[in-house]
Amino acid sequence: MLPADCSRRLVAELRDALDACAERQRQLERSLRVSRRLLRTWEPAETSAPQPTPAPETSGEAPSPESTPSPQDLKELELLTQALEKAVRVRKGMSKTGERHKALSLKSGSAAASATTASAPSRASGQASCRVSETKPPRGIQQTVVPARGLPECRLLSVGDRTRMERGSRATKPGPGPRDQQIPPSAALQAPEAFTLKEKGILLRLPMAYRKAASRNSRLWAQLSSTQTSDSMDAAATAKTQFLQKMQMTSSGPGSGLSAAAVEAEVGLLRTACSLLRRRMEEMLSADPADCMQEYRCLLTLEGLQAITEQCLHRLQELRAAVVGQQLGPWPVGRCPGASLPCGGGTDPIWSPQLLLYSSTQELQTLEALRLRVAMLDQQIHLEKVLMAELLPLVGTQGPHWLALCRAVHSLLCEGGERFLTVLRDEPAD
Amino acid sequence: MPAHWTEETALKGRGHRSLGRRWRRVSTRSVIGRGPSRAGTGAVIGRWDPAAAARNPRKVSASCMGRRRRRVDRGAAVGALPEAIAALSRTLPAGPSPEIFRRAKFDRPEAAPALWQLLFRVLSPLSANGASAPPAQEAQVRVVKSELRSQGYPRRALAQLPEDGSQGSRELLLALAWLLARGPLLERLLAQTRVRLGDEIPLCECEALARPGPPVPRVEADGPVDIRHLQWLMGKLRFQWRKLITSQQEQCALLGKIHSYTRGCHSDRSLGHLSVAETELLRDAESGQQLLRRLESENVRLEAALHWRRQELVFWRWMDTVLGTCPPEASQPTFVPRIPERGAGEWELVARELQTLQEELRGAAEPRRAAWEARVGGWGPEWSAVQRASREAVGLELAALQRAWERGGAAAQPHGPCRLVKSDAGASGGPGLRAAQVIEVLRSREACLEAVLCQLQRQCRQELARLAGALPGLIWILPPGR
Repeated sequence: MLPADCSRRLVAELRDALDACAERQRQLERSLRVSRRLLRTWEPAETSAPQPTPAPETSGEAPSPESTPSPQDLKELELLTQALEKAVRVRKGMSKTGERHKALSLKSGSAAASATTASAPSRASGQASCRVSETKPPRGIQQTVVPARGLPECRLLSVGDRTRMERGSRATKPGPGPRDQQIPPSAALQAPEAFTLKEKGILLRLPMAYRKAASRNSRLWAQLSSTQTSDSMDAAATAKTQFLQKMQMTSSGPGSGLSAAAVEAEVGLLRTACSLLRRRMEEMLSADPADCMQEYRCLLTLEGLQAITEQCLHRLQELRAAVVGQQLGPWPVGRCPGASLPCGGGTDPIWSPQLLLYSSTQELQTLEALRLRVAMLDQQIHLEKVLMAELLPLVGTQGPHWLALCRAVHSLLCEGGERFLTVLRDEPAD
Repeated sequence: MPAHWTEETALKGRGHRSLGRRWRRVSTRSVIGRGPSRAGTGAVIGRWDPAAAARNPRKVSASCMGRRRRRVDRGAAVGALPEAIAALSRTLPAGPSPEIFRRAKFDRPEAAPALWQLLFRVLSPLSANGASAPPAQEAQVRVVKSELRSQGYPRRALAQLPEDGSQGSRELLLALAWLLARGPLLERLLAQTRVRLGDEIPLCECEALARPGPPVPRVEADGPVDIRHLQWLMGKLRFQWRKLITSQQEQCALLGKIHSYTRGCHSDRSLGHLSVAETELLRDAESGQQLLRRLESENVRLEAALHWRRQELVFWRWMDTVLGTCPPEASQPTFVPRIPERGAGEWELVARELQTLQEELRGAAEPRRAAWEARVGGWGPEWSAVQRASREAVGLELAALQRAWERGGAAAQPHGPCRLVKSDAGASGGPGLRAAQVIEVLRSREACLEAVLCQLQRQCRQELARLAGALPGLIWILPPGR
């Protein structure tokens, strides 16, 4: 058994690592759920009949959702509404029988069908559920447009519903069969036919409101991250520094200006420094000097690195003294120590993301695998250091069960816990 | 109460947005009526606090140039202070109305709870992010105090405020201003709660590390544990990583599919296809509505932040007066020194590493120096010029190395989240990083880390061999190497 305080520390470290991993897994599961759902058949929208919709339009530009419909449109609207109401009734009746057919005809054949039939009748929200498409002249697909009034931003495509109905060759459910005659073919009703991203993803269009909001959003972010230099900004900056100075003067607090957060940040920097210095040292040691000059430079570099290391150690001692002596207060909670970050870690956050272009799924997978591997290695290195610090001294003191301890420590520290060595007692054979 | 304060109290009941606007209208009317007499003499502050203006008769600062000076001279910026504060509180989460700010200046107790809550939301943004109900008032107060202290807030008065959150509004106002003055607080808050429209991948882990998940309630193992428990935990960790990597691969495959199925659907040509969030928006109307709402509220906050930027000078002038109304701090109260255990552990590790490194360097450099001196001892003066040149060159290299960590070296590495875009062209032009480049960088980093890990393991093996060698009569059979 390990001593209590040592156990506590090690268990805490390992549990932290496990928690971090579990958190990543949770987030990943969330994204996976969403993506899987998107790639399955999309649940047919509820057809809430009371939604008045303007008349369909055959070609040309999509009407702006706020356009007032003409009287002829209103008439067709009426017809459509009736048809939709009827469709809901029919579908509810057909849902039981339709389910079997759905299961047959669904490409994915997943359990989505049962889920959809269960949810379809219950989705009677007033939300616009009519998914409609919008014609896209360059696409050359003649489809009807029935934008939902209440939710101008919800568009869906009308499926090659029409095309399918016309072709009629698909083994679709007989459900829509009787409906075909009642609904004018221009009614782009979401049929129980499955909408899959694979087949019709190309036809999706983002709603106007979203597009506007998104472009405004990116414009505002760009403005925000660029308003760094102007006259008023300089004035504000000087006002701020003056204010801070005044605050410092009027307070009786620590004058050194060091805070626990700053100390922690510096310790992090020193950790990065250590790894960079070590890397340079190994470069120097592994390089074979070709001539006197290189040898001299190698020597100078090593001595220079030594000097810098001493400076870093000195700085570390100073920070330690500050922490102990000046009562800097509680350590900032919740920071996960242990990774040496290539970037400063404390630098300004990037306000809006830049693009990362990839060309194939393979490439993306490689990228992600590498990223995770780097994170895993970071964590492993940190754990290795912690374990070394705690366990090696224990092996040094020979207690009971020393052999077992030694063997376990060896596997943990030297093999990452994956393999074990064997210890044999060397008995003289006699 | 002086005349203008009655107007302010009359506006008490309104929301902050309307407050700001009303104020502006009220003030311009009154200014026009009053004529130029009050203008130009610190009118910005005079409006709210004539006493302070009398103490500090301040000419309009010369740093406000051109249009701004004329505006201030005209006194039209008299309403700028409440407007600026309204913009500030629109940007902040749970921002209180400008009336609260005004009261806080005079240390009125009714302003305190709102400010405690605001500071709590600002200082611990993610734990309060709708995960659960906000904690009790005392807990909030404690968190605010400890977080401010660890960031180095200079005034001791804050720590002495009562924990029921009933007092100290002026101190809290000063704390808020201190946080605002120190760094890009608003931008950071906005970036943390940014609406993510694309499929993002973080290139470096600094965001993930700075943002720990919600604290998991954990049963601490207080007693001594067997080392087998540690082995079990390690194994569990290994397994979790494997699971994570496979899940991630699946997610990548799904993403690739979604991106290629929605080719050409995006209005923005540089993106070309929809992201998961956007496709989800189209699939599910409700979540689409939610996303749109969040996007719009973020736009409102962004605009408020820009507005604030343009007008913040007024606020800082006012804060100077607030600071002026504070009594100077008294003697040092006693504090219990607390050595943070967690931090100490971190410090120990770094110290040990540096010491090991130092010893290794000394072990490498000293014999070389000795050998060099022995060789070069008798060489002539022309050598010294060459030596000097070498010294300078090495000096420059090492200085560059030092800069690499001191300034963070962020410019060198790709940093921050990136939006994934599938593009067949792989064109060399155009903005954005290429996956191939990032893969290269990651590969080199992986190699580096593997080398470090191997070296550590080697070190352990040597140490253990040394310790085990002390016991004769045993044969150690190492496991088959990789």
